[in-house]
Amino acid sequence: MSLPPAVRERGRLVAGGAVVGSVATPVLVAGLVALGGFGPLAAAETAFAFGGLWFGLALLGWAGSVASGRAIEAAQEHLDADSGWTERRSRRAMARIGGFGAGMMLVAPVVGTAVG
Amino acid sequence: MSTETLTDDEGGTASRGLVDRVRASPFLSQLLSNRLALAGLAIIVAMLVIAVYARLTLDLDVISRSQLGTNPNRAAPSLEYPFGTDGQARALVPRVAYGAWYAMLFGTVTVGASTVLGVGLGIIAAYYGDITDNVIMRTMDVLLAFPSLLLALALVSIFPDELGLWRAVAALTLVYTPRFARVVRGAALTVLENEYIDATVALGATDPRVLVRHVLPNCLAPITVQSTLNFGLAIIDLAALSFLGFGASAGTPSWGLMLSNGVSQGLLTGVWWWSFFPGLFLALTVLGFNLLGDGMRDALDPRMREAVD
Amino acid sequence: MFPKRFVLKRLLLLVPVLIGVATLVFSILHLSPGDPALTIAGERASQEFVERIRADLGLNDPIWVQYVDFLGNVVRFDFGESYVINRNTTVREIMANTLPVTLELALYGQLFGILFGIPLGVLSAVKQDTLTDHTTRVGALAGISVPIFWSGPLLILLFAQVLGVLPTSGRISSTFSVSPIRVTGMVTIDTLLAGEWDMFKSAVRHMLLPSLVIGVYSMALISRMMRSSMLEVVRQDYMRTARAKGQGAKITVLKHGFRNALIPVVTIIGIQFGGLLGGAVLTETVFAIGGIGTLLVEAIEVGDYPIVQGTVLTFAFLFTLVNLVVDITYSYLDPRIQQ
Repeated sequence: MSLPPAVRERGRLVAGGAVVGSVATPVLVAGLVALGGFGPLAAAETAFAFGGLWFGLALLGWAGSVASGRAIEAAQEHLDADSGWTERRSRRAMARIGGFGAGMMLVAPVVGTAVG
Repeated sequence: MSTETLTDDEGGTASRGLVDRVRASPFLSQLLSNRLALAGLAIIVAMLVIAVYARLTLDLDVISRSQLGTNPNRAAPSLEYPFGTDGQARALVPRVAYGAWYAMLFGTVTVGASTVLGVGLGIIAAYYGDITDNVIMRTMDVLLAFPSLLLALALVSIFPDELGLWRAVAALTLVYTPRFARVVRGAALTVLENEYIDATVALGATDPRVLVRHVLPNCLAPITVQSTLNFGLAIIDLAALSFLGFGASAGTPSWGLMLSNGVSQGLLTGVWWWSFFPGLFLALTVLGFNLLGDGMRDALDPRMREAVD
Repeated sequence: MFPKRFVLKRLLLLVPVLIGVATLVFSILHLSPGDPALTIAGERASQEFVERIRADLGLNDPIWVQYVDFLGNVVRFDFGESYVINRNTTVREIMANTLPVTLELALYGQLFGILFGIPLGVLSAVKQDTLTDHTTRVGALAGISVPIFWSGPLLILLFAQVLGVLPTSGRISSTFSVSPIRVTGMVTIDTLLAGEWDMFKSAVRHMLLPSLVIGVYSMALISRMMRSSMLEVVRQDYMRTARAKGQGAKITVLKHGFRNALIPVVTIIGIQFGGLLGGAVLTETVFAIGGIGTLLVEAIEVGDYPIVQGTVLTFAFLFTLVNLVVDITYSYLDPRIQQ
């Protein structure tokens, strides 16, 4: 199994986010049940939707960076208004955020089925 | 020229100190020599006076209630009713004046809340850098890519109806936060590059202390410019949400709602004063903030100051 | 010459963009208060009726099952039927009727903004710090400050009520009972294609005020950006060199500066298209033009979720597509962008 290093690196970022997301899910569900007065299933469903927010956001951000990242970098250079934004860093951050959301969306059904 | 007026008005040693300080500050002297910015400031001050006066002297219940029977219905502007009366026979002058209070109040809350959120996020991103920075700022970038009114429309539905205008405030706060975060992060990074911060940290200052004592004060100028520019936008977007039916409840004297009424009921019958006066005040207020904000930005950005050749 | 791979890559990116927006819309609707089944049935409906609707819509399934179903529907652009606004009509059908209306408005508005904004910006930059410059700049600021829902009604009152030269609202005079053959759905184009001159004239007269109102806003933004971008380019060294060679200052600006100055302006036009869609929501409300913007507002108000989903995704699709066009223009203006 020899993946190109770029793919492996990206996979690691997504996986890292997913681990955090998976761990966060039961915590969020427990918190919603204990403090928010949610039923267990409703809490898991809310966690799923919450993960969906991050996953959707990250997908958009990733696509946006890939699509117009170079143009934004060039425009900043052109206007001499460099904000330190780079396409590469943006894509890496989005991979993490997306992984986090996806992790939640994958674990929430498991938690929901287990407790619901 | 403007600095001279200041001395004339106040005189004395205390104000001389102020004048000297103004002269010494390139930002303030640049701003005060910009007549358009001063005009903007004058408009804002006038609106503030109207707003506070309306809040203190007018009874909200009375101007919200129908005045049928007491006043003439749909009266055109006259000496007695300078802005005319509406379909509920309410005189428009007090309602438009009270609208200024609403615009200022809700505008301040929106801009204030997004400033606090944005400053917090921006400074944290700049100070901790790396992953924290990336996660915060990239999320802000995505939010920034959405058109503001459409994003506000989407977010408004999250909050329950009962909140009224606060629902619009909450949605717009989320829409504006990324703008502040981005500006503050940039300013904070510049400050953090200065060596004295390293020295302070080496001397044992804890994180929050460095942020509050050293980073925040140095970001104040860009934050002020950004707040001023966004104040105008916030007032217009709040009115737009009210106009579209997300915000003030019927009868509330907010400019957006009055304009909505003017369009839905006054347009075909030619009752022009229902739209004209609330809109005039709204446009003037927004123009005031835009003029001042533009002047502040030019004064702050040395590249804009320097003339071509 | 034409960057084929570049365009293909951007088109492929539409997939994650749409899935991303769909996921966001889905999540937001689920996190927001309100029960769709109750909305459709009405407050006074019996418990069994509400339950039946809930079952029909699959609302009894867990959210993850609903999400997968929803993504499947998004791929087919099938959001089912409208709950409240236009019962028994598919969202796809409603979109097909309302989207061209908004597109027409946005197109004319953008055209107006570009045609007037760019020359005004150049003029302002060339005559920097003269009366012309100041007037243009204040005018542009005023253009941004005046809300559409004020300038619109005032223009209607002036031109329709007082002068009586232009119609108040709608897209075409109601005296034309038969609509022209539907080709694009945009009245000004369809009537022209059908060769119906009277109808065409009526459609154009209806279009004038709305596109002016929405166009002034983009004109103001574009002229401001054009001015500062132009001044930036003029300041650069090679411009000084060009001037040292002895050409007239104005010609230098026009010849060398214009193309370079246009680059950031093109980006702004793309980003600002989203704002234009927001402006369309307001303009359509003022002029009673039933486009996708008023549809979205109404759907959010009454809780017609299928329409909300369809509208938001259509907006996202449009926005991405426009930015694709902008990127292509951009790479044409500045060949360094494409590798």
